[in-house]
Amino acid sequence: MGRYIARRLLQSIPVFFGATFIVFTMVYALPGDPIRALNGERPISDSAQAALREQYNLDDPLVVQYAKYLGGLAQGDFGETFRGRPVSEILLEKFPITARLALLAFAFEILLGLIAGVLAGLRRGSFMDNLVLVSTTVVVAIPVFVLGFVAQLVLGVKLRWFPIAGVLDGWYSYALPAIVLGSLSLVYIARLTRTSLVETLKSDYIRTAEAKGLSRARVVGRHALRNSLIPVATFLAVDLGALMGGAIITEGIFNIPGIGREVFLAIRGQEGAVVVGIVTAGILIFILMNLIVDILYGVLDPRIRVE
Amino acid sequence: MFRRQDAGVLDLETPRDGHLLEVDDLAVEFRTDYGVVHAVNQIDYTLDPGETLAILGESGSGKTVSALAIMGLIERPGRISNGRIVYKGIDLLTLADREHRSIRGQEIAMIFQDALSALNPVFSVGNQIAEMFMVHRGMSKKESMAVALDLMDRVRIPSAKERLHDYPHQFSGGMRQRVMIAIGLALDPDVLIADEPSTALDVTVQAQIMELLASLQSETQMGLILITHDLGVVAEVADKVCVMYAGKIVEKGTVGDIYDRPAHPYTERLMASIPRIDQKGGRLDPIKGAPPSLMHIPSGCSFHPRCPRARPPRCNEEVPELREVALGRLSACHFAEEVLSDDG
Amino acid sequence: MSEHDPRRGRDTIVEDEEEEEARPGEGSRATSFVPAEGATAAAAAVEGGASTYQASLWGDAWRQLRKNPLFLISGALLVGFIVIAIAPGLFTNIDPAGANCDLGNSVDRPSRGHLFGYDIQGCDYYTRVLYGTRVSLTIGLLVVGFDVVIAIVLGSIAGFFGRFWDGTLSRIADIWFALPTTLAAIVFLSVVGERGLLQVSAVLIFLGWPTLMRLMRSSVLSGKEADYVQAARALGASNWRILRVHILPNGIAPVIVYATIAVGIIIAAEAALSFLGVGLQLPNISWGLMINAAQNRILSSPHLLLFPALFLSVLVLTFIIIGDALRDALDPRLR
Repeated sequence: MGRYIARRLLQSIPVFFGATFIVFTMVYALPGDPIRALNGERPISDSAQAALREQYNLDDPLVVQYAKYLGGLAQGDFGETFRGRPVSEILLEKFPITARLALLAFAFEILLGLIAGVLAGLRRGSFMDNLVLVSTTVVVAIPVFVLGFVAQLVLGVKLRWFPIAGVLDGWYSYALPAIVLGSLSLVYIARLTRTSLVETLKSDYIRTAEAKGLSRARVVGRHALRNSLIPVATFLAVDLGALMGGAIITEGIFNIPGIGREVFLAIRGQEGAVVVGIVTAGILIFILMNLIVDILYGVLDPRIRVE
Repeated sequence: MFRRQDAGVLDLETPRDGHLLEVDDLAVEFRTDYGVVHAVNQIDYTLDPGETLAILGESGSGKTVSALAIMGLIERPGRISNGRIVYKGIDLLTLADREHRSIRGQEIAMIFQDALSALNPVFSVGNQIAEMFMVHRGMSKKESMAVALDLMDRVRIPSAKERLHDYPHQFSGGMRQRVMIAIGLALDPDVLIADEPSTALDVTVQAQIMELLASLQSETQMGLILITHDLGVVAEVADKVCVMYAGKIVEKGTVGDIYDRPAHPYTERLMASIPRIDQKGGRLDPIKGAPPSLMHIPSGCSFHPRCPRARPPRCNEEVPELREVALGRLSACHFAEEVLSDDG
Repeated sequence: MSEHDPRRGRDTIVEDEEEEEARPGEGSRATSFVPAEGATAAAAAVEGGASTYQASLWGDAWRQLRKNPLFLISGALLVGFIVIAIAPGLFTNIDPAGANCDLGNSVDRPSRGHLFGYDIQGCDYYTRVLYGTRVSLTIGLLVVGFDVVIAIVLGSIAGFFGRFWDGTLSRIADIWFALPTTLAAIVFLSVVGERGLLQVSAVLIFLGWPTLMRLMRSSVLSGKEADYVQAARALGASNWRILRVHILPNGIAPVIVYATIAVGIIIAAEAALSFLGVGLQLPNISWGLMINAAQNRILSSPHLLLFPALFLSVLVLTFIIIGDALRDALDPRLR
């Protein structure tokens, strides 16, 4: 198991470098004056430009720039905003908000998703099954921003069940955006659980379990579920990572000052360093979550451990 | 989390003049989008304690389905459309699901081929054997694992103690099959159905497994139903044989009789198609054609398209009855006597 | 960093076989009764009675699809959309370019002759929404079309030639997967100067190929192991022939299924990007742009949100339904 983890770790390294390099390149090396990109449209004196070039190593070849950037990263320096505020500070400030939203959405999607998926999978072709299939298809087709608006309108304004924007009072104000955010993944989870369960129930070992005279509850609950939830669990881990990375659109619609919104504003304001910094943090989280998924997979499925 | 099921053995006794297990006029069909598949077509057989009955046939002959029917494992779109399955005097088909379930595993057990896919990959083998005791006998995990260990010894798995917590994929094919057998025998069933137990294994391992089954059977005097297409295996182990073709039994008799002097052209051709070690050169003699689709079973005698002895119009039109053609020998052929009298 | 990373989520819906380890055998119960095709034909030939049918993956799939009402309805809708995209002139004779826009009509409700009302500039909304179809469909099909071609080529190379090629290409795909889609798209698009159809498509093509490539690679990998491929090799077939004749025809199936759904995803993605302000720019017509303009007026002029959102959702839905139906039809195990 240890070797398996080590191997996965090693494989993550080039991925990290490759991904961050691409982002870095895109932001800093595309046509257009990077100083302009960094500054926005503000007018700037020649000496200030030269100073900035020096500071951001813009006269160095790209690869060197990247190397220096990585060096800074290793020391926890994720870059700065144009006004000099460290990105790491921004991250620390905004992350808890995004985290709350993410966790709430996560809880919502797991609960509903698993239950719906299991019920649908057990009674294939039944009302529940068709309901799950239809509703998931429809929800997925409606773009998230439309869904967000509609939810805001219907549930927030018309029915007044939830507060519609901002994060004023505690957890409840996160409820509506969490539902919207979670609804997408809920769809995947329900479908994945259903499909996985249906597949598993066709396996030979399920037939063996029945031949052993075990009750239906035990056959499904113990033998089938344990196997069919493996892919679901790994999906959940990755999803959590993605949620933690911030949801731009949802945060935008519901005016939640989290990381997603921060990045979006940075792009608008052409704060290249902030964008790169936050995206890099996001890539790190992604890689971390993937490692966790791999470990999780090894724990859940004994066949993988022996490699 | 799961309540343990009814612990304890059921109170069943074979009536004095009855058989341990009797399958009577059984028919199983599957309704698919493409038509109705008659997997099993009015078959009968009996089994007594200590007896080994081999059900011989090619894939698609319906042999596994009949066993699944005994176990009550036929599911939609399949259904048992006719017949009785009498175990110790009780027709299993009249039982409620729960009652039937209590018989499964405890009284009648079934083991399957390809233990790699037939065993749950995420639980240790010890766990899977022990489950029988935890669920059916209400024993604790510790006790159950101890008994499981004994069973693993009994099916001759070496170093059982170290391997109790290993997973199925860590065992070789033969060892896995022994685990399957251990699960099957766990609760001392009176009938064991073995579905192609040695098919997925090498020849030498096959022999070991069959030998194990035979010795276990003589210890416990359980009835053994062996489902296979392997003539060699049948010859070694079985007492009596039912030959199935296209969902029907076409010949019944003792092993010796059937092998020496078959009474049905299909059996005859089967015997002739086995390559023999004393054959020198020459061609192999397979049965021409292929088994029919169970959705479109040929009219009259289902074997007639491939039968070298077929004589229209009788063979095309008239379905032969399974009838006694000699002492203890049944055959479903219009010309069984001829087959019988031709030697070899 | 995206709440709707299409690449990741969709993998699971199409049951991406990512794991190298074998899954438990999915033997169906009582398989012994399933008729072999050869046997059917042989028996039928002998009997002269029962029908003979040629069973092939695509043939069977088509037969099943024809009977699927959802597929038929979605297919009809899709055809409708395509017609609208190709010849919007059939449905409206107003020029969307703005010649008829009159600020005096700004955000007026639907009325006779103007089915969907007017937008903020006072232009006929119905016309603009219809023309939006063309843009969305074009981008969707263009992006997925290119990605499919790239994926088939790279996926076949990776799957077939293994070892070095597979290692490299898979590593590269992994890097792509580590990039958060929405963010990366936003970043790339915001540094590109003018954002027309081509630029937006290019970015989406650039970001989307790995998922399809992985699917193709999986298919080729498992196809390579098949017995009939070994047999073909033994008979002296060249690599090219094996790929073309034996592996590709069946191997393409999951890719086609996913590609169909992907068109829907790309259409939605373009709308999202335009909504955020980093996608298509005016004077291009995009439903995303329209929805963006509508967001501050949802309560006062709901028609501004309603119509483009409706068209968008339905178009995406049709692709998803068709993709799902395709998947069910092509999956031999679901019979």
